[in-house]
Amino acid sequence: MINQLPEGKSISRMQAPPQWIFTHTVRFVGVVRVVIQDGEGFILIKKGKTLVYYFKHGRIELHGHGALDYFNSHPTIEFNLCKYTPEEFSQALKICDIEDPIPDTVPVQEPARPEPVRKESEEDSFDDIPVISRPAPLPVKPEQPVPVIETPAAPVPVTPATAIPVIPAAAVPVKPVAATPEKQAAAVPVMPSAAIPVKPVAAVPVKPSAVPQERVFVPQTAVLEDPDIKIIGQIKKLNGIVAISVFNNDRNILLMGDVEIEPLLKIARTMLATTNKITPHVDWGSFVHMTLQIPEGNVIIAPYHETHLCILTTRTINIGHIRRILRDLQQERNQGDML
Amino acid sequence: MLKQILNKFLILNDVQAALVIQENGEIIESMKSGILIKDELQEAIAIIMLDSRKTAAQFGNAPLSMVFVEFSESFLILGPVMEEFYLVIIAKNSANIGQITYEMKKNQDAIVSLL
Repeated sequence: MINQLPEGKSISRMQAPPQWIFTHTVRFVGVVRVVIQDGEGFILIKKGKTLVYYFKHGRIELHGHGALDYFNSHPTIEFNLCKYTPEEFSQALKICDIEDPIPDTVPVQEPARPEPVRKESEEDSFDDIPVISRPAPLPVKPEQPVPVIETPAAPVPVTPATAIPVIPAAAVPVKPVAATPEKQAAAVPVMPSAAIPVKPVAAVPVKPSAVPQERVFVPQTAVLEDPDIKIIGQIKKLNGIVAISVFNNDRNILLMGDVEIEPLLKIARTMLATTNKITPHVDWGSFVHMTLQIPEGNVIIAPYHETHLCILTTRTINIGHIRRILRDLQQERNQGDML
Repeated sequence: MLKQILNKFLILNDVQAALVIQENGEIIESMKSGILIKDELQEAIAIIMLDSRKTAAQFGNAPLSMVFVEFSESFLILGPVMEEFYLVIIAKNSANIGQITYEMKKNQDAIVSLL
C-alpha cells in the first residue's frame, strides 16, 4: 500500500519521538513516512487528524492501533513529512479506502493564534513544518475511527525487533546540507556503532487491534517550539555540521543529521557529566560549551533552554563561528530569564 | 626553559595562565598573570583530563586532540603533549582562541623535548 501512495512534497526529514508528529501537524495535510530499522510505514494526516497508521516489515503488516503502538514503542523514529496537494490527498484516501473526515467545503477551525502565511518558495524548508501555538490534543481517540484491518496473524511468524538487523545510519536519507561536498567528505566523524552497543528495540507489539482502546500517552515535558526547530535547522545547515541533537536527561528530543543517536547521546551525556563535575570548582560564570576534539572532528555540548545541544562537526568547522552562535543562544536565554 | 615557552602564551592578549600538568593533577610548570591556581581549579583540570580521555576513547579509541571548555567569563583549553602530560591554557573569553591553539601546536615539540 505504501508504494501506491502519492509521493508528495518532502518538507522535512528528522528523528524525533512519535508524539512530535501528533503535536506538530495541526495544519499539515499529507503523509508522514516512517522508517524503523528495515521496515517502513506511514501516517496519513489531515490538519491534525490522523487517519491511517500503517507499518510493514517483511511479511508483517500492522494497521491502525497495532502500527501506532509499534511507533510509540520507540523513543524516537525517523520520518519524512511529505505535504500533499488536495488532489494527492484525495488519491491517498482512495488508496487507503477511507473517506475524507474534513471535506474542504467545511470551514476548518484554526488554532487560536493565527500563523503568518509563508511563501511556498521559501528556501528554508522548516518554514513548511506546521506550527502549533499550544500543545495539540494527542490522538487519544479519533472522531473518525481509524480503519483497522485485521491481518491474519497466525501464519505470519512474528520476529522480535531485536533480531532485526540495525539499519545503517548511512542508509537514512538526510536533508541536504549547504556545505560543499569536498569539505563534507574531508573528515566526517564516524560514530563507532560497533564499539558502542545500540540500545535494543523493544519487541514488536503485535496484538489484536479490532477493539478500539483508550490510549494514554505520556505527556511531553520538553516539546520544542517552532522557533527552536528553526534555529536548530539553521545551525545544522552550517558548513561542517554533521549532526545536531537536542537532548535532556531522559531522552533525545530532536536529531538532525545522519548519525546513530544512541552512541552520540552516550558521549554527550558523559561530557555533560564532566561539566557538571567541574562547574562547582570554577568561578567563571555560567557554562557556555564544551568541545572535545578528536582527529575526525568535534563533539560540542552546550546548554539550550532547559535542555542541551550536542553538535557533531567535521574537523574543518570554524569553531569561532559555532562559539559565537552558542554564546548568542546563551545570551538570549539569559535575557529570557531576566524577563 | 619550560617557563620561557609558557611565557609565549602569557604574552597573548587576555591569557591568564599557561600550565604543563600531569594527568593526576600535579603541576609540572606554570606561568600565571592575575589568576590563582587554587586546589579546586587544579581538581577541575584533572577531571577534564581524565574524563575527556575516556570520552574520546568511545570514538573507537580515538586519540584526544584538544578539549575546550568555555564559561561566560573565561575558558580553558587543554591539549595533550605526551603520554600523561597536558598543556593547559586559561584565558578570558575575549582572548583569541585561534592564536592560542596555533601557539599550542607550534610549541608542542619544544615542550615534549623538555619533559
